[in-house]
Amino acid sequence: MELLTNGLGLSAVVFFPIISAFLIILIPKKQEQLIKVFALASSLITFVLSAVLLFQFDFSSADKFQLGNKISWIRSINANYEIGIDGISLPLLVLSTFITVLAIIYSIEHLPEPKSPKGFLALILVLETGMNGTFVALDLILFFVFFEIVLLPMYFMIGIWGDKTIRTVSGLKNQIETRLYASIKFFVFTLFGSAFMLLGFLGLYYRGNKTFSIPELIELGSSGAFTGTFATLVFAVLFLGFAVKVPMWPLHTWLPDAHTAAPTVGSVLLAAILLKLGSYGFVRIAIPILPEQAKAWAPAIAILSAIGIIYGSLACLAQTDLKRLIAFSSVGHMGFVMLGIASLTPIGINAAMIGMVAHGVITGLLFFLSGSMAHTYHTRDMGRLGGNMKLLPKTGAMLGFTAMASLGLPGLAGFWGEFMALLGAYNPLDGLNITVFRTSMVAGAIGTVLTAGYLLWMLQRVNLGEPSEEWLDKELHDADIYELSAWIPLVVLTVLIGIFPKLIFGATNDAVTSMLLKAFGG
Amino acid sequence: MILDLILPRKSKYYVAAFALLGTLFSLAPLFIQWANYTSPIYAFENSFVIDKFSIILKGLFILITYLTFLLSINFIESDKYYQGEYYYLLLSSLLGALIVSSSRDLLTIFIGIELASTPMFLLSGWKKGDRKSNEGAIKFFLLGVLSASLILYGFSLLYGLTGQLVFSDISSYLLSASLTDSPVVLLSAILVISGIGFKISIVPFHSWAPDTYEGAPLPVTAYLSVSSKATGFVALIILLTKVFSGSGSSWGFILVIISGLTMTLGNLVALQQENPVRLLAYSSISQAGFILAPIAISGITGDYQDGIFASVTYLIIYAFMNLGAFLSVHLFNNFAKSSNFYEWGGVAKKSPLAGVLTTIFFFSLAGIPPLGGWFAKFVVFRSLLGSENLIGISLGVVGAVNAVIALVYYARISKVIWMDEPKSIHEDRIFNFENPLKVVGVFTVLITFISGIFPGIFSYLGEVSSIFFGN
Repeated sequence: MELLTNGLGLSAVVFFPIISAFLIILIPKKQEQLIKVFALASSLITFVLSAVLLFQFDFSSADKFQLGNKISWIRSINANYEIGIDGISLPLLVLSTFITVLAIIYSIEHLPEPKSPKGFLALILVLETGMNGTFVALDLILFFVFFEIVLLPMYFMIGIWGDKTIRTVSGLKNQIETRLYASIKFFVFTLFGSAFMLLGFLGLYYRGNKTFSIPELIELGSSGAFTGTFATLVFAVLFLGFAVKVPMWPLHTWLPDAHTAAPTVGSVLLAAILLKLGSYGFVRIAIPILPEQAKAWAPAIAILSAIGIIYGSLACLAQTDLKRLIAFSSVGHMGFVMLGIASLTPIGINAAMIGMVAHGVITGLLFFLSGSMAHTYHTRDMGRLGGNMKLLPKTGAMLGFTAMASLGLPGLAGFWGEFMALLGAYNPLDGLNITVFRTSMVAGAIGTVLTAGYLLWMLQRVNLGEPSEEWLDKELHDADIYELSAWIPLVVLTVLIGIFPKLIFGATNDAVTSMLLKAFGG
Repeated sequence: MILDLILPRKSKYYVAAFALLGTLFSLAPLFIQWANYTSPIYAFENSFVIDKFSIILKGLFILITYLTFLLSINFIESDKYYQGEYYYLLLSSLLGALIVSSSRDLLTIFIGIELASTPMFLLSGWKKGDRKSNEGAIKFFLLGVLSASLILYGFSLLYGLTGQLVFSDISSYLLSASLTDSPVVLLSAILVISGIGFKISIVPFHSWAPDTYEGAPLPVTAYLSVSSKATGFVALIILLTKVFSGSGSSWGFILVIISGLTMTLGNLVALQQENPVRLLAYSSISQAGFILAPIAISGITGDYQDGIFASVTYLIIYAFMNLGAFLSVHLFNNFAKSSNFYEWGGVAKKSPLAGVLTTIFFFSLAGIPPLGGWFAKFVVFRSLLGSENLIGISLGVVGAVNAVIALVYYARISKVIWMDEPKSIHEDRIFNFENPLKVVGVFTVLITFISGIFPGIFSYLGEVSSIFFGN
């Protein structure tokens, strides 16, 4: 166990998946079974490793970076391989390894067309390395590299295994397949954000004693090293980089396309983990390093979040496509997360943390369900679906439960994030404009009502009622064992977090409080 | 000491194998020089120098030529052209490049530049029956002669002003006579920049490149876009920092504008290309803008060391990934028998190895981590922002926008080969991936990965460029 505490365990969690991915590439294509078992085993091992780290983690000092290491990486620019986890990154890291296992279990029997398990599973594992790496990186350049590594696998997942429906896109002469349009749109949007983010990192480097180390920069930032126009510009570009990823209104337009076009597992990973990279960036980098700027920008972030919540909900009400509806609901839910972050209070940021995990679990499950239903019915049009409860009782029950969790029913995971974000916005950090935040809070509260509205409406259209004629004589398969074993853990987690939110707060609270204390004083 | 210059010439016997061995063998003296290196060695009255900087560059040039040979073997044999001459001409060009990287006076560097580019006039017209090839070669030749005369004119102004040939003498004369800001020196710098600008195809001297690239045999194009460009850049770096270092603020500003224009124009035109070779031509124009940016800024700030470090790092990484990209184009063009890459639909399924390699090269060119290209772009941004002045930061923003634009067309290639429907006519064709080409592919891919994951290996370049500038 000694071995695990000096950074080796953490590195293993990051690099084990990508090494497995390379090994998978070496397995001959014919041996599909072996490839699947191998991928599952490697994701399981990664998850177990991260669970072991959970026990190694010292929760009494969750505000410090632990289990990490620092090795010289690029000497000429003073970038180091510096890793570590604290209470903020720990839940997200475990969530990431956990969801990947479920994604691979689901993929064993439900590979999207064109099958090719080798490429698909290898890409999932490469993706996992990028996600885990982003959560443990404590060096801006390392963070940037991992942040970008996720782009390629997701691009290919959407582009190769995505939705082949032909659609027209305004501005393009020819019709184009959804997957092709969505994949490049996703790529260009995120790269646009992160190219500027890199410029921001370099700005911090030159004004901050030529270091890329996040802990060192946090110390510098909290002692007021970054001020003036320079800091405003840097925060602006960091905001651009992270907000595209979250995504915040009005930078969200890639999200519905990407989600709708991606294969089921792709949507799950996208919603559950990839979006969190953005909000995590705010909590880990933007706020602690540039506290004064965060304070100046907070009202703007709050307003954009409130718009995002309302806009996302209204857009959901206008959808006929089940998957697109869930995609827009993500815009709304991430709006709550960002509203919590904008309040800059312990309550608000804790809300954001639990909101991220809950959204990962619940929306991940929703995408699993909608993907599976689209596979069974060969349509996602809610006008044609109906009576799902009668046709697919297991899936239907799951969908009902998850929708309830998603709309923030007390006792389930979704409740805490929304409720506490509103609480945080009611009473933001001293010195922030109360009117703006309370207005945003009211908007958020209206948003919760709208959220309940569209989710219940969705349930009514999809789950309840009598099945339409076209399904009666068809043989429809309800959830099989692979699907259930991917879904049930998420259901259990939703209930557990709902009843014992301390599971998350226990880790995050100290870290969040000390981060804010450092940034904004007592 | 100059064994590395003589050796390749011995191999003008008409056998490919001998050329290959000769080039590889000529690496050996470099290793010995590196191992025994203590301080720069000067020869021929200070006009020729061997320092770490030149050793690294020579290694680069020799490796590129070696890979070009590997690329050419099947190509030249299949066309039954003059094999011997082909290798001889390439080796002469290599010799020119080697001379440039060590030269420290006006005559030597001019001879080097011309020796490097003259054989390329012939090689680019190698496909004799092909009208495009002839057109490209003529354009290249005419502009090449013009560029030579511009360089020569610039040199003669300098010589007339100072009466010196060796760089260190010229620059100390200029300093002592406080002529660094004189319009004549600036004019000379502009002439030199324009002349070399043709070689490295920066806007507005780029117009020959797409036509010549398209017409020349593919291995020659690869060599042109990598080695010739690198030779030009090395000459430019040496001249600007050794001779014109005193008047940096004036040429620096000109180069900043040229650099911004080059990346933007190259990118925007590349977006509309359907021919993969023309796409790579415009993309390499745009990449030249990136390579130029740190030198330009270093002229303004005076921090040449950092500028040289960034430019040379970019140049080295670019050389290998771009060679790889040409390898991909070569493979797929041969397979699809078409010079429109939209015809490549789904070919990656025919040869997953080629598909994966292509994806890696093109995304590396786009600068996506963990592939080498990201570090190249990163050091450029670093030196631009490190200048901490408005011009540098603006150029950085222009670069960032361009990096995103470039992604669109680089990703398009991957999209076509992986995501488009396979063409029915391709079905029974066999995908040829000859062994020499595999060597090129694996070698360049390894470098692309290693330079992206452990960019620390470039750290020593930082020291090297400080030595380079120290003397």
